[in-house]
Amino acid sequence: PAPPALLPYVPRVPPAALPGKLTATTFALERPCCVFDRHANASDAVWLVVAFANASDAFRNPPSRADVPLYERLPAARSYMTLETPAAAYACSAPSPAILRVGDDTACGDQGGWDPCNGPLPSPGPYRVKFLVMGCQGPKAETRWSDPILLRRAGSPSTIDPAPARRDSDAVVIASILASLGTVLAVAVLGAVGTEAWRSLCRRDSGTSTFSHRSYRTHHIPPALPQPLPPGCRCSPPGLGCFAPRPPGPCPAE
Amino acid sequence: MAKSGDGIRILQGLLVFGNVVIGMCGIALTAECIFFVSDPHGLYPLLEATENDDIYAAAWIGIFVGFALFALSILGIVGVIKSNRTLLLVYIILMLITYAFEMASCITAATQRDFLTPNLFLKQMLERYNKSDVDNNNDKWMAEGVTKTWDELMLQKHCCGVRGPSDWQEYTSTFRSSHKDADFPWPHNCCVMDAQGSPVNLDGCKLGVPGYYNSNGCYDAISGPMNTQAWGVAWFGFAILCWTFFVLLGTMFYWSRIEY
Repeated sequence: PAPPALLPYVPRVPPAALPGKLTATTFALERPCCVFDRHANASDAVWLVVAFANASDAFRNPPSRADVPLYERLPAARSYMTLETPAAAYACSAPSPAILRVGDDTACGDQGGWDPCNGPLPSPGPYRVKFLVMGCQGPKAETRWSDPILLRRAGSPSTIDPAPARRDSDAVVIASILASLGTVLAVAVLGAVGTEAWRSLCRRDSGTSTFSHRSYRTHHIPPALPQPLPPGCRCSPPGLGCFAPRPPGPCPAE
Repeated sequence: MAKSGDGIRILQGLLVFGNVVIGMCGIALTAECIFFVSDPHGLYPLLEATENDDIYAAAWIGIFVGFALFALSILGIVGVIKSNRTLLLVYIILMLITYAFEMASCITAATQRDFLTPNLFLKQMLERYNKSDVDNNNDKWMAEGVTKTWDELMLQKHCCGVRGPSDWQEYTSTFRSSHKDADFPWPHNCCVMDAQGSPVNLDGCKLGVPGYYNSNGCYDAISGPMNTQAWGVAWFGFAILCWTFFVLLGTMFYWSRIEY
């Protein structure tokens, strides 16, 4: 049988900035469109070959569908084939999602079956992939190998340091101003109370001190109101009392 | 009063006005702190799990200090108007005690702001979210609080992780140990949900296709309310204390000038 035709297409991880295109156990690939139309007919299947990057050169295309290495054999064979899809799904006219996800099926390997499945990748890799068109007589066409695809390695959260980067200056301002205000108040109160205590001590010692701070409350003595003048009094200077007018004396003789 | 009558009258008026302001600010401080303690954003479990919820202690102190300021301001007004030395001495001493408590609350709230870094919440999220193997009851309580708070946060604020969904990919976590990476690159609450509460497009969400997942981090939604709370308690308390400082100095001067 003729060796499979080598297509110039190179599979690649989509260049768009998708945060989920590379995770710890899966990766995404651009869907090849219009790549296999000339070499595949409707009954052929397109497989994805996934191999460890250092084992990709040693990979040999399986001669028939029965020899396809499956997902469960990845640790031993260092490669496997998955994502068996009818060639029509990659045709130019087929509407399709633009992305293939390798490692999407977590139910893989549980049933222990021998069907091809798309299980999560067990290690970060790196991996290389290529597409292989398999017909009834064996492989008909293949693409080139992709560049090495390295999956994510997650770090441990114990490496995260939660300590703050730098001390905020606001806290220092508040703390210093408040501390100084509080100290001034405390000193003022102690001073005022202490002075009063010292004064009362001095007053007790020198009880008959001439200079006594104790001053009496001034009583408001209202000035005596002027008594109403008895009738017949003429005005006289205040305080001199009231003098009844003397009757005019006899006129002196002329 | 032996001193000049006008000067004393002015001082009395100023002290009464100062005490009125203190009383109103005391009520405002109590109201503000009650609002914070009531946790309207539901973020208290996150602080509780950091084992350092001093901001809430500062708010609790603020409630009682505010009420004390209000009561003492009334005492101060009565003491100034009646020129009663005993009343004013009691007022000054109690005010000093309240002053000390409010100082503690202010400084605590101000220094706590530095503590709330993104890394703090990231580490807590990775170590406690969906934690299933818990050591004791306290651990279980904190893990449940963190899980519930993060679930609600991601749903209501449409965010994912602390800085973004890649937090779940860059670090291993307790979530990762119970949920496979291929099915859950990040929790499903990070996906855009439809009206029934299920993801609109789960495959798009897992890949990170724009429009099907929440690309923002939740740090702003967490630190915003917490910083506002710390800020409110710290600076408002600081303003009250500065004003009270001058009123207390004036009262002490007035007290020393009252004749027996």
